[in-house]
Amino acid sequence: MFLKNAWYVAANDHEIGRKPLGRVFLGEPVVMYRKEDGTLVALEDRCMHRHLPLSMGQLVGDKLQCHYHGLQYDGSGKCVRIPGQDMIPPNAKIRTYPVVERYHWVWIWMGDPALADPDKIIDYHWLDSSEWGARSSYLHVKANWKLIVDNLLDLTHLAFVHETTIGNSALVDNASVKVTRGPAEVQVTRWIIDSPAPPTFVKAGGFTDNVDRWQIIDFRPPAFLRLDVGATPTGTGAPEGSRVGGIGMRNLNAITPETESTSHYFWGQCHNWDVNNGKLSEMLLEQIRMAFSEDVAVFEAQQRNLDMIKNPPQLDINADKGVIQARRILDRLYDEEQAAIQRPQAAE
Amino acid sequence: MTDVLPSGLPSGLSSGLPSNQGWQRVAALADIEPGQPFGAKYGEREIVLAVHEGQVFVLAGICPHAYALLCDGFMNGAEIECPLHAAAFDIRDGKCLDGPPGTPDLAIYEVKVEGGDVLARAKP
Repeated sequence: MFLKNAWYVAANDHEIGRKPLGRVFLGEPVVMYRKEDGTLVALEDRCMHRHLPLSMGQLVGDKLQCHYHGLQYDGSGKCVRIPGQDMIPPNAKIRTYPVVERYHWVWIWMGDPALADPDKIIDYHWLDSSEWGARSSYLHVKANWKLIVDNLLDLTHLAFVHETTIGNSALVDNASVKVTRGPAEVQVTRWIIDSPAPPTFVKAGGFTDNVDRWQIIDFRPPAFLRLDVGATPTGTGAPEGSRVGGIGMRNLNAITPETESTSHYFWGQCHNWDVNNGKLSEMLLEQIRMAFSEDVAVFEAQQRNLDMIKNPPQLDINADKGVIQARRILDRLYDEEQAAIQRPQAAE
Repeated sequence: MTDVLPSGLPSGLSSGLPSNQGWQRVAALADIEPGQPFGAKYGEREIVLAVHEGQVFVLAGICPHAYALLCDGFMNGAEIECPLHAAAFDIRDGKCLDGPPGTPDLAIYEVKVEGGDVLARAKP
């Protein structure tokens, strides 16, 4: 299942230029390019004539020309040239999708264009702020998008999947986790009070004594997970909201379904110390990339099992409390969206 | 406030009943936030405490459906909702109000507050 009426990340801003980029979102082929003035265009990636992806074609000025028989479409999706034919049928038009550039990402709306309000784009300002060092990246994952959501809402897997990279068994055993929820959000909060700083934190934050550490996972549907992690010297009031003398990082994730069994995984890593140190930003990105590649191996193996065994019985454990609240929101939003789609049809 | 770590054991399996005719201090009243379930122990049993309209209630702390810890759940008025499969129980009498079919009621405890302490006793 997909939620259509939502903004999704479609690409990094630098990926889209004067060469058409074809990508599938929510099971629909989309082609994206920039006009000569830099304006973004997103069209259905299918020529109306014989269904070739238009992303195989080329730009002629601001028009996209099909690679097969040379039909040309303008930025509004209208066919404006058919070689060897003067008259162009008025219904020769392909779908366009609203697109917005924000936080160095290109966002796309796959649902009803009338509902596409850019104010509803989730805040990822850390990727585009002078107060943070930031790098972002992309992974293609051969697994359903919700498997990735599950993973990021339950960090107890760190001790097992990431034993040799970012894992830390103390995070599973010695910390308390609190889940809070709203109609369209879930927060999973973990505080580790008055504990020794891990070596990476000592190096980054110069801590000489124990610290208070936090991991706060914020979920917003359909698949936005913003992780806030950091540490301050113990007793300085971080749990009460005062973050001084410490370090903080944001691990920012935006998952876009490609098909039911494949996903686009956009993510970034930001740090609030030594923010202009590009080497540090790269190093942190690389650490997370190594960990995420361990996760991807898990997602893809889960998907292979789920492809073989449809709807297997599933055990839920205490650590799933955040995951389950998020899934419940997704199910509710899907039911609401389906009901809204069917209502006008029923009225006819 | 400190959360009680899960033991992973279903309640009622151990016989670690406290003395004092069964009354035992299980929490400081100040530890319980209104609208938030609070996990504690009664002997070796997991229990959950909740305040509703100024009154403290104590119930078995583990959902009998799939053994989730109810201190991780959510309060809706006088109901406590299991964090996993949304079974809902009335904190006043332990009755299962909603949730997976066949979910039994929760055991409830007798409660008294002395000074700032919450004392509980298992019902015979």
